[in-house]
Amino acid sequence: MQMDKVIITNMGALREKYGKRMPRIERALLRLVAADGKRGLETKVMAVDSAADMEAIGGRPAMDKNNQKQVKTAVDAVYQAYRPDYLMILGAPDIFPHQDLRNPVYDPRGDDDRVVPSDIPYACEAFYSTDSRRFIGPTRVVGRLPDLMGSADPAYLVSLLGTAARHKTRARSDYQKHFSVTAEVWKESTALSLAKLFGSGAAMATSPPKGPAWTPAQLGRRVHFINCHGAPSDPNFYGQRGNAYPVAHSAKRLIQKIMNGTVIAVECCYGAELYDPADSGMQAGICSTYLRDGAYGYFGSSTIAYGPSEGNGQADLICQYFLSEVLEGASLGDAALRARHRFAQAYTHLDPVDLKTLIQFHLLGDPSIHAVSYVTHAMARAKVFKKAFRSRQNVKGTRMLRREKSARTGTNLQHSLGTVKTTDASMPPDVAEILASAAKESAVSGFGTRTFNIAFPAVAMKGNMSRFAEVRKGRAVHLLVGRKDLPPDAPGRVVALVATVQDGQLIHIRRLHSR
Amino acid sequence: MKLRGRVTKRLLYAGTKSEHEGLVLASPEGEFKLRRQGGNPFRDDTLAALEGKEIEGEGILRKGQFIMSGWKILN
Repeated sequence: MQMDKVIITNMGALREKYGKRMPRIERALLRLVAADGKRGLETKVMAVDSAADMEAIGGRPAMDKNNQKQVKTAVDAVYQAYRPDYLMILGAPDIFPHQDLRNPVYDPRGDDDRVVPSDIPYACEAFYSTDSRRFIGPTRVVGRLPDLMGSADPAYLVSLLGTAARHKTRARSDYQKHFSVTAEVWKESTALSLAKLFGSGAAMATSPPKGPAWTPAQLGRRVHFINCHGAPSDPNFYGQRGNAYPVAHSAKRLIQKIMNGTVIAVECCYGAELYDPADSGMQAGICSTYLRDGAYGYFGSSTIAYGPSEGNGQADLICQYFLSEVLEGASLGDAALRARHRFAQAYTHLDPVDLKTLIQFHLLGDPSIHAVSYVTHAMARAKVFKKAFRSRQNVKGTRMLRREKSARTGTNLQHSLGTVKTTDASMPPDVAEILASAAKESAVSGFGTRTFNIAFPAVAMKGNMSRFAEVRKGRAVHLLVGRKDLPPDAPGRVVALVATVQDGQLIHIRRLHSR
Repeated sequence: MKLRGRVTKRLLYAGTKSEHEGLVLASPEGEFKLRRQGGNPFRDDTLAALEGKEIEGEGILRKGQFIMSGWKILN
């Protein structure tokens, strides 16, 4: 049986959290299901902890709400049974966990996120695993409508469910004006992102000197693009100039200033971390605050994010892709899926930083919402078109085509994209010499090198691709991380040189500056 | 919870978007990035005064960070 949309949650965990006030949430859920119905979406609510729900589809209930393997297995069973076009996870991680994937860039001296809490496994066909390389080919449209971590007041979740139920699709022109704030040190990169999205970066504000007291007119724009610093369990984002890190954006200053329907893309480290407000003086995070104030969707990272000092890369790109898809009329969930596809498709293989970027960004919001309407083809205004679809709408049919395309793209990625694997193999002497020279020219003193093999799925070595099999076996990535001889607080002090080597010969080198 | 240890400065999150010089608390339980509840996680002049000192802090541990609500200087 196919459903248009499945809302998946843990009812036992919700009841335990909200107690006698649970009926308010149940009524709000019913209102969303009814509103979906009026929009032509057949929606089913599924509880992964319900023996009845799960046995009805031949699955097993997830008895332990924190058992990520049980939950992932239950989600897969629900997806197999209903093949929904939209899968909406209901609840914060204390109701419905993220899937903790091993961080491919883990380094106790640098990126010390041991795991990356991720929703991408729920969007993938692969079975439960903590290996991020298993989840590089998402095929499902997934988003999470979170409640507030640690809070037993149902008002927050009822409000978010209400926003989703009452949402309106608006014209592209309503999303033309944007609000953007960037750390000053990244203004060139952010300006490039905005130019790609909107044709100009003229509306960009830099911090310092601007922020966090943004005007209602600025915050009232329906697209927000933010490229600042973020920290765990922190309700602020921060700008940077030299060793000054002023508050650039603050959750407490957003309250009642966000326009209904706002869509936000945030590059900041921990920008979409769902934390307990009790950890920060009872101030909810920026992502939670946006959603409470009527935002439709928020795309951000659960952990430390990456980007180059100049040009665009990693977080810049995946956030750009998300917003561009939203502005083209994709549903929020489809926009998130396509952003992941576009990001992954750009590479022959994902290096460790690219892989982390792919798994760490997720959508908070109802994935079925189309914030922006599609620009219809001219033929849609023709009499023959209107006559052809007079008695039946073509929405489901075209959505089915989009899902088929996305499934094909995701499946192809999973079966064809290479990923790196740490190896103890030594760096070829001439490559080591080149990297050392490049480091010297960049005034960088190296403090560590790592070598990775690149592994491709077996199927990616067959048929026409078999001609690349031998070539791929001889490919490796070498990473040199070093420090520039700059004042301790200067940005760009750490530099990574990434060398791609083929059969011992250097074929590509890039320099990534830290921010 | 309470943690005791010496406060030192070092480069944190090297190579990431959030790389910065910050304070860590080296305690018998491990090394934790030091923050003050409500303080700026990237540069906090109040905490900067603790560099080199041994302290006993009270607070919470979150993702490798010790977020202090209070502390006393031991020496």
